[in-house]
Order: sequence, then C-alpha cells, then structure tokens
Amino acid sequence: MRGEVSERVRRELEGILGPRRVSSEAVDRDVYARDMWPRLLLARRAGDAPAHQPDLIVWPESVREVVAIVKVARAAQVPIVPYGGGSGVCGGVVPVRGGITVDTKRMTTIRSVSADELTCDVDAGLIGERFERELARRGYTFGHFPSSIYCSTVGGWLATRAAGQLSTKYGKVEDRVAGVTLVTGRGEVVETDGPTRALRGPGWTQLVVGSEGTLGIITSARLRVSPAPQLRIMRGYWMPDVATGIEAIRRVMQRGLRPAIVRLYDELDTMINAASHDEVGAPALDEDAFAPSPAPGAGPLPPWPSPDAAVEAGPLARLRALARGGVAGLRREAMGAALGRSRAFNAVLGVAAERVARAGCRMIIGLEGARIRTEVEAALTFAELDAVGGRDLGDEPGLRWLAHRYAVSYKMSPIFADGAFVDTMEVAAGWDRLDELYAAVRAAIGRHAVVMAHFSHAYADGCSIYFTFAGSGGAADDARGHERVYDAIWRDGMEAVARIGGTISHHHGVGLLKAPYMHAEHREAMTIYGALKQTFDPDGIMNPGKMGLDRHA
Amino acid sequence: MPESGRDVDAVTRALVDLVGRDHVTAPTPGATTPVWRVAPGSVVEIAGLVRAAPGLGVVVAPAGSGRRPPVHARPTVQTSMARLCHVLALDERSLTAHVQVGLTGVDLEAQLVPRGLSLGDYPPAVMRSTLGGIVAVRTHGKSSARTGFFEDNVLGVSAVLADGRTIHTRIAPRRATGPDLARALCGSEGAIGILTSLVLRLHRAPEARFATAYALPSVAAAVAAVQLALREEAAPSGVRIYDEAEARVHFAELDLALGDGEALLVAGTAGPTDLAACDRDLVSSAAIAEGGRLASPALAELWWRRIHGGAPTPAPTPTTQLMATPGRLVRVYGAIAAAAAEAGLALRAHVSRFDADGAVVFVTLVRGGAVLAETDPGAVAVVLAAEGAGAFPLGARSLRLDGYLAALRTAIDPDGVLSPEALT
Amino acid sequence: MSDARDPRDPAATFAAAGVERQLDNCTYCPKMCRHACPVAGASGHEPWTPQAKMGQLAQLRRGRAAWTPAQADPLWACTGCRQCTTYCEHDNEPGLVLFTGRAQAVARGAGHPELRGYGERFRRRDVRLAAELREQFPDAGPAPLGGIGFWPGCDSVDKGKGDVAAARAVLAAVDEDVTLIAASQVCAGYPLLAAGQPELFAAHARRVGEAVRDLDRVVINCSACLYTMRVQYPAAGVVVPEVVSLVEFLADRVDRLPRPKSRRAVYYHDPCYHARYAGVLEAPRTVLRRLAEVRELSWSGTDTECCGGGGLLPKTNPTTADAMARRRLGEVQAGGGGLVVTSCGTCSFMLRSNAPSGVEAMDLPRAIATLAEIDVEEVSTVASTGDEDDD
Repeated sequence: MRGEVSERVRRELEGILGPRRVSSEAVDRDVYARDMWPRLLLARRAGDAPAHQPDLIVWPESVREVVAIVKVARAAQVPIVPYGGGSGVCGGVVPVRGGITVDTKRMTTIRSVSADELTCDVDAGLIGERFERELARRGYTFGHFPSSIYCSTVGGWLATRAAGQLSTKYGKVEDRVAGVTLVTGRGEVVETDGPTRALRGPGWTQLVVGSEGTLGIITSARLRVSPAPQLRIMRGYWMPDVATGIEAIRRVMQRGLRPAIVRLYDELDTMINAASHDEVGAPALDEDAFAPSPAPGAGPLPPWPSPDAAVEAGPLARLRALARGGVAGLRREAMGAALGRSRAFNAVLGVAAERVARAGCRMIIGLEGARIRTEVEAALTFAELDAVGGRDLGDEPGLRWLAHRYAVSYKMSPIFADGAFVDTMEVAAGWDRLDELYAAVRAAIGRHAVVMAHFSHAYADGCSIYFTFAGSGGAADDARGHERVYDAIWRDGMEAVARIGGTISHHHGVGLLKAPYMHAEHREAMTIYGALKQTFDPDGIMNPGKMGLDRHA
Repeated sequence: MPESGRDVDAVTRALVDLVGRDHVTAPTPGATTPVWRVAPGSVVEIAGLVRAAPGLGVVVAPAGSGRRPPVHARPTVQTSMARLCHVLALDERSLTAHVQVGLTGVDLEAQLVPRGLSLGDYPPAVMRSTLGGIVAVRTHGKSSARTGFFEDNVLGVSAVLADGRTIHTRIAPRRATGPDLARALCGSEGAIGILTSLVLRLHRAPEARFATAYALPSVAAAVAAVQLALREEAAPSGVRIYDEAEARVHFAELDLALGDGEALLVAGTAGPTDLAACDRDLVSSAAIAEGGRLASPALAELWWRRIHGGAPTPAPTPTTQLMATPGRLVRVYGAIAAAAAEAGLALRAHVSRFDADGAVVFVTLVRGGAVLAETDPGAVAVVLAAEGAGAFPLGARSLRLDGYLAALRTAIDPDGVLSPEALT
Repeated sequence: MSDARDPRDPAATFAAAGVERQLDNCTYCPKMCRHACPVAGASGHEPWTPQAKMGQLAQLRRGRAAWTPAQADPLWACTGCRQCTTYCEHDNEPGLVLFTGRAQAVARGAGHPELRGYGERFRRRDVRLAAELREQFPDAGPAPLGGIGFWPGCDSVDKGKGDVAAARAVLAAVDEDVTLIAASQVCAGYPLLAAGQPELFAAHARRVGEAVRDLDRVVINCSACLYTMRVQYPAAGVVVPEVVSLVEFLADRVDRLPRPKSRRAVYYHDPCYHARYAGVLEAPRTVLRRLAEVRELSWSGTDTECCGGGGLLPKTNPTTADAMARRRLGEVQAGGGGLVVTSCGTCSFMLRSNAPSGVEAMDLPRAIATLAEIDVEEVSTVASTGDEDDD
C-alpha cells in the first residue's frame, strides 16, 4: 500500500470506525506482523524486524463495519488479513502484501444458546476459554478444547478447521458448525447457516470453513453444543508397543465407540511425558530396564555436562533429565550439541526405544458424556484395550493428564530462550497406511531434529499423528542458520507425507508454512479452490499469498 | 448448436467414437431438442465426452432418476452411470469402500453383508438409488442417529470437471488444508463436476439389534421422548413417531389399542450388544418418562422387518415431506394439524429420520378417502402453514448464495457445459 | 544501575536475570494467558496481551526499539491485576515487570504523556483529600498509640460518597473502637508505583509509615492500599504495623453484625489486589453470607476480572478502563441485573460509574450498612474540584 493510498484509506476507515479503532502505530504493526509460527520467532529472537507488516490495523465491532472495511479495501485494491487470536502456527496472518489487518476480537457476544436446537450463535472474536466457560455456566459444552483454547478465537478455529483434545467424541470444529456468517471479498454478507441439509445445492458452510481468510472474514457462527458431560472417566493404559496401541484404537473406533480422548504416545513421547511429571512408578521407567551405555553402533552421545547427567547414566536417564528440566534446565551448549546431532541422537533413541518397547508405551483414554451411555461405552472400550494386551494403569494417569492438558504449550518458551526451536507437525491418514506414515515422517524429521510423536484424534477410518520436534541451526541469533534446518525439516516431512499418502495438516492449517505443499495435497482439486476464490474474492484482496492459491486464482 | 438432422448425426457419430456404438442412444427423431443417452464405461470416456461437448454444441447432464422429467432447453448428452457400477477397492482395515457412482446402495450392501460390513442404517428408499445420485442431490432424510447423515460418510469423491480434468479428494479422515472441496460436488447435481466415484465410510455389521415400541399420550410427548433419549446420547439406528391416524393405517393388521390423540413411538437400536441394549433402554426410559406405555412387541417387529426390506410398507406415498429442526418439530406438527382441520382435511403423519438437524415429517392429507397430491390447493395451504411454523419442504433449493453459485459455476465451467439446468 | 546489589534499586531490578528470564518466557509463549488479560480482552488489542507487552519491553530493554512514549505505550496497558499469573506455569509476574519497565520509561523520558508531572499532581491531590477528610470528620485524629486505626483510602474519600462514614458506622456496629486515621496523607502511594515513580513512592511510604507507626493494627478497605502497605512498604524498607483488610476484620466479628429481616441476592466482585495479591478470598463471602445470598460471577476468586481501575489505566487509557468495568458487569446485566458488592474504593467507583441500567455497584461498607440496615451519619461532602489530580 503506497503512502498516498494509505492516507486516503486510513481517513476513510477512520470515518467508519473512529480514530481509536484504526492504527498505523509502529508498535501495533510489529505485533500484527506475526502469529505463533515458530519460524517467525526465530527472526524475532535474532532481533530482525518482521519481513511483512500491515499498513493499518482496524478493530471492527459489527458485521456492518466489517462490510464497510472490505468495501473500502476493495475500492482501493488493498489486501485484507483477518486476525483472531494470533495463535496460529503456520503464519496464516502474516500480511505478505501489507494492507489492512482486521482484528475480530471486539466482536465477542454470545447471542443465543438454544436448548431445543442445541445450537449457539456466537461472534467470531470470542476467545475459546471464555466461550467454553460461559457455555459451562449455562450447562453446555462446545466440546472443543485445543491446547490454544486460552488464546485462540472461535473465528480462528473455523478459519483453520481446528481440532480440540476431545475431538474423538465431539468432532473437529468443522463437524460442530451448523453455519457461519461471512463477509466475502466482495464486501457482502453471506449466511451459510440454517438447516442447509434440508435444502438442495452445495454445502456452503464446508466450502467456507477452513479457508483461512482467503474467501472472506467469518464474523459469527452457529455452532452445535452438547449438554455438559454428566460423567467423565479417565484412564491410563500401557500398550506393549505402538503398533498394538494403534490397533487398539482402531478396534475401539470401528466398534462404534466414541471415547472423548485417545492419546497414544510413542516411546520417546511416553518417556518425556512421564519424566516431565516426575513419574517414577511407571514400569518402563525403571532405571534397571535400560542399559547403562549406548548400544553398539549407535554413534557418539552428545555430552551432557549438567550435574544431573553425571549422576544418572544412560541415554534414557539423560532424556528424562532433559524432560524434567523442560530443556531449560540443561546448559545451552549441551542442548545445542544434542540438537545439532539429532540423527545420531534419534538413532540412539531408536535403540533405546526398542528397549522401552519391551515395557510398552503409554495411552491416555477418556470418555465423557451422559452417564449411562458413557459407562457402557467405557466398559466396552476398556475391554477392547484389554483384549489386545493393554494394561490398565487406573485413573490417575488420565486425571493427571487432564489436569495438565495444556501444559505442553508452556514448554515452548524455555526451548526458544535456550537458543533452539520446537515445532509440531500434525498429519493424518487412513488406518491402512498409518504405520507407514509414522515411520516415514519420523525418519524425515529425525534427519534434522529430535522427534517424538503421539497418536490422537481418532476416527473409524483413520487417525492423526502429532509429531513434536526440537532442533537447532546454530547460535541463537543466527536466524538464517535455524531457518535452514527448520525449512529442511518441513520440506522432508511434507515430502514424506505426500509419498505415503496422508494429509499435510490435520488441524493446524496451512498459512504460509504449508502453502508450497498445497498442490501436492489437492492436485487438480485446487481448481475448485481457485474457482471459490474467484467467486468470493474476485479482486484477490482477501489474505493474499496464502494457501498456495496464487497459482490457481 | 446441432439443429439439422445432419448435425445430430454428426454428434451421434462423435459420441459413438467416444463411448462405443452400444452405449449411445440417438435422439428421438423430430424431438424439439435432441437428447442423447450415453453410458460411458470409464472416467477417461467421461472426460472425453466433456472435452468434446463445447465443440459438438451440446451440454452434458446426468441421466438422473429424479422425480422431475428432464426437459432440456439445449441439445443434451445425458450420461448414465449404469456401467460405472463397480467396487474399486474395499479397505477392511480403514473400513472404507471406493465405489463407482453407478452402483446402487442396495447392490453395494449386497457385497458388504457377506463380509460383515454395512453402509449404515439408511432407509430402503434411499438405498435403491445409485450412490452417485444419493450424493449429488442433497436432501434431508438420508440419515440415522447411529450412522449419521449420508453425506458425512462420503470421505472423498472423484469427479470430472468441465475441462475434462479429474479430481480426487480422498486423502485422510480429516484435514485442515483449506475448504472441504468435495462439498462443492456433493449436492451440486452435476453442475460443478461429474461425480465418478466415492470413498464411503463403512460400518461393521451390528452384533445385535433390538426394536421397541411405545404408546405415548401425544405426538408432542413422543417428540419429547425422542429428544430426551438423543440428549442422553442414545444413537438408535431408526426412530419413528406415528400419530394415531397414521399408526392405524401403517399397522392395520395389528390391534394397536391406541387412545385418542395418542402417538406411537418405534425405535430400533444396533451395535455391540451392550450398546444396542443400552440405547434401547434409554429410548424406553425416555418414553416412560414422557408418560408412555410399552406397546405390543409384534408391532416393533413388523416395523423392523419393513425398514430392513423384509416386509412391504403398506402406506401410499405421502402428500408431502417437510423437514423441521428439533426445536420446531412439535410446532410444525401442530400447525399442520390445525391447517388440515381448517381445510376440512383428514390428516395422518409420521415423523422420522431424526438427527442433529431435526427430522422429517411425512404428511398425508386425505379428502373423501383420496390422498391429496402435493399440488392440491388444500395441501398447499397446509404446507404454507407448516412453513410458517418453520418447516422446509424436502427437496427445496437453497437460494441463499445463488449469486455465488452462479459465479462458481462460471468460474469452473465458463462454457456452461455441465448440467446448465441443474439448481436453477 | 548505580548499585546492582540493592534489590530496591529500580534499575537493578530491571536489569536482573529474573526479569530477563520472564521476558523471554513471555516473548516465546503461545499467549497462554491471552484470555485472562482484561485489558487485552476489553480492547481486543493484540499489542496489549501480556505476551506482547512483555515482548515489547524485551525489545526496549535490548535496544531493539527506541525508548519513546509511542514504543513504551504498551507498558501502560496493564492494571497490574495479575490475572495472567493464574495461568502462568513459568511463574512470571508481567504486572510487576511492566511496572519496573514503566520506571525505566519515565527515567528515560519515555513516560506516558498523560502522566507528565504526575508526582506533583499526586501530592496536591493527597493534600486536598487530607483536608477534605478532616473537614468531613472533625473527630478523626492522628493514629493513637497501640490502637486500631482505619485507613480510608483516597478513592473512598474522593469519590466514595459517604463510604468512609459507612465504614465507621459498620465498625461501630461490631463494637470496635477504631480510630479514623486523619494523617497528612490519604493515599498509601500505589499510584506512584503504577506511574513508574519508585523513588517518589519510597519517600511517600516513609511519610505514611511515620503517620501510622504508633498503631497496633491498620484496617484498610482499599485493596490497593492493603497490598501496598502489606507488601510494597516492607520491600521499600518501611516498617508498618499489622495490616488487615476491613473485610477480614469484619469476618472475624461477623456474629456481631445484625441479621437482616430479608436476604437479597448479591454478586461479589473480588478486587484483584485482594484476591491475587493478599489472598483475601473467604472473608468477604463470610461477611456477605450473613447478610445476603452470595452469587458468584463466572470469573471470581483468584480468577477475578479487573474492573479497569488499577495500574493508572483510567488515566492512561480511560476508554479501555471503562470498557473493562462494563465488561465485568455484562454478566450481571445479562442475568437480569442486581447488586454487585466489592471491597475497594477504586473498584466500586469504576463499577458504579460504568454500571448499566439495572445493575448497582456498592463498596462493602455501604453494602453492609444497607443490607444490615445500619444507620450511617450524613457527612457534608466537599464539592470535588472535578479533576482528581488537581493539576
């Protein structure tokens, strides 16, 4: 946006919103330049200014104002980027062509909760935790509990097809939306809600949900709510190995049972998880279960010069130290060395993991809902887990998980503060290729970083895999060095997904991060997305440069 | 545009070249607008057809078995998918089937049953259609509380676009990589692309089935009972409420012992034995809580045999079918009853296909012993009253985003080759 | 950074490794307290989330942003309410860190434009209010040796509309001999801390400490005064008598409060500085339950939501401060209105002046007097000059 245009646009917007809800302050432009995409944090850590900033930020309070904003932008051919909680991890809100960033967070009203229809009309800017608490107060739940619930908005969920931790029962957000109100790139309001299934024609709701601001701005939604659960049953299970755990989940899901939570941690994730809770009672973590030194041929171990490491011997004990300290407890050089040699590190883990595998890996499973049915489903579910050789650890591990369900999000800071980086890659596939997908992606990431995974968000026809990886690309302020490693991880990981046949994103969305892989994901079907883009946003002003649309628009 | 007989012959020859002589039916000589019927045998042939269409001056539309007879304004190649009727892949690990669109639900089910699998609890009327037809035309009623809305079991589609390119959307159970592009094709009635195959979710054959029947004081009480059971998370495979008059017609052979204004609630449950029993008990408890009393088991059994194809359904086609959301069902039924009484019509109705969106009310209006047609002014008045109470006629078209639909069609099919008359 | 060993030295505090760690933790955190920041919540401003405010302070501290009023602006978008800390597993204290950042900004000439000459404005107001207090309550006196004194707090004197008189009446009703403290100061000095004036605060604290030093116990209604005297005075090296909140004091004597004939329903708004700084949680409920049915707001107790009155936000950003108060009362309004009781002069002023129709807000002494039907003597309130800062 050129200065001259900017000034005119600014004046027009101020005419609509008043001067207080339009900003071009440097401080504001800096903050609205990013979300929680870890790659952006690398540059921030190094002290680099954001590569792309919005020219203006606006805070509308009504659909009418959003319409007016889009009309101004359209007339001036200025890009618009919708902004919810800024909690995305793919750079979806980065204004790659500048323009106007529209913050939706002043639209936060819960308009109605219908007990008869079990629906709720809510504005897009409401933060998840506040939404869920208000529903709880009224005796309902939306059932959507992402680990970002403290900072993400209803609109952001819908824009990215988000998933919550209880999605196995309640579904992903797209399964819970009856309709949305959208201000399109044409500057018009469309409502996709109503009992559309009774009516002929395409299902517009599902064509708009997930569009990450490329078609319009979601300003409110009609969501399906459920009565607040009367009963919740949580369990921990030990599974002989990952494959058995996967099989157990598949059998549960295909028997028509709907646990709310199913999380199967692979060996490393199991270990880190247990260690970070200082859990010593779990059988797999008995010191004696592990050899005191790395297995032959596993390569050199990274040095761990912390006092703890001197006492505790063996790679797994060291990992536990790593987890217990939340990584921050370890000296920076030590971690740098570990992350810089991740291939060897993962190889060691592989060997170590085989040892762990004798004792198994851990599953958290929970059911909730109406009392009687939940009890019956729980009995059937646990019977399936027992049948494959799972061992019931009682409710304590499950309850502890529940109490610390968002804790993982706090682990990000120490890792970045210590000069490394951490990110997650959530992919999914049918059961037929899930094992293969797990192996391929794990190997791809493992070439560059320490990687662990858990299986969650299960369906009758497949499951998602959530990889967490920590890596390093040099000194803390060497943003380019880190970015090289970071980009290589994603390139190899996405390539592995495309090769095996899965989706590149189960619930984090695409943004800038995965835009280059959108064509491999959809191939010719991108034509339809391109046509939708042309339909809803003929001038291409809505969140341009995202989602690999440019070559199809 | 082919107008003369010579042009028609040229098109016919071109079509024969594309799909073979045996699979082309030439237009009736002298027809105002020529209509060819072709039955392509592969996706490649469909793509060829679509690519050739602009040059031949024809449009391509599916040869549906819909209730409206096709009246075409432009020379049209009607594509029958009858030859695309194969199961391409059956993934018993993921419980999915990749099937061609010409296969009917009944035919697919026949292949699934021996393997202990099933497409789900869908009414026979739905299952008799081709799978492509079920998916291409969106109407309510293709759902069950247990196995969901039919469209939700479509995990992916393959289709041919207007430019002859083929798309495939199946990749994972769920994803977050943009809009669900398959939804542009589901319900598009051939306008966005020609569906060629579907990936469908399968279900394991239930380990147990139960059926139960209750008499309730009123339709409102029966609706309340169903909603109470659903709220307790019962997921019956089928639920139906009959008003007194309808029950007498549907179960004429049985002694119903229904009182004035009472309603009959029948429910079937299925799944793992414990779960199916649980759901049955939840429905029973809800019925009792709403003042119901157990009805004859023979009644439940008869109903069960009927919906599973074992016994013929006696009742004639209803006058009209209306959809209402859960909160409006009782009001809609009340409005229908009041309007029928005012018009001096005898009313009988049943409510079925319950899911999260609501249910369908099957309305039969009778004057002098004859069932009214939907177009009868008396019926129209009743439908209007129902709409006033919040009902939607089944098969009505969504007008909300009409401008967007038109723009989308133009963007994807600039020459207007695909089903130009659909959804207009 | 004259003396890095002195923990009270603001520059040293600001340079401490703990601050560095906290700034890092916030900068790289996925905004886990986003929903709990009432300033960010009421304004919708992303730069006002604790994460962004701390991130901006980190930029300033590292020299990546210039110390200008515009760049330091986010430091002022905080009421110090500490709700964010409820959700922080890093044990960060964004409010306290931001307040030290404010001191840096002021010291570097990058203070808030609305707070120019604040020290002098504060002093003048304090003098004015001390005079008003003496005028209203001629029998108020200096703090007696070994006795119990009631510290009225500036906002109650200034805008409390007889709340001080109500407090005296309630204290009399529970048969306690409590002297209303009429010193040369009325405010304990919290605004100076929030204004980034730690040196002025320390000097003020010493004077107040002098004024109350003979007392055995100080009873305080104002939540900010309570926190300031209880926590910040000792930190500034000022010795004070035992400091107790009025509501705690009354809770211990709840049996002496008259029981009303009828019990109405009231909501209780926990002042942040009570609930999250001083652990005053049960006492107000104990007291109110004797007099009324207590309804909990959805955000209450340690999760209470700020009324907008803290951190000098009403001066630096009055629009947002008022929006916070309205947001706080939204639930009461949606529930059909009612009476909201709090126990802080600032909170009650913010809530009262932003109450939508059907919602009434009262400070605790006034509420007790009303609910328990205790007579409150009329006092002649001096017409306020209108500008509370006297500048």
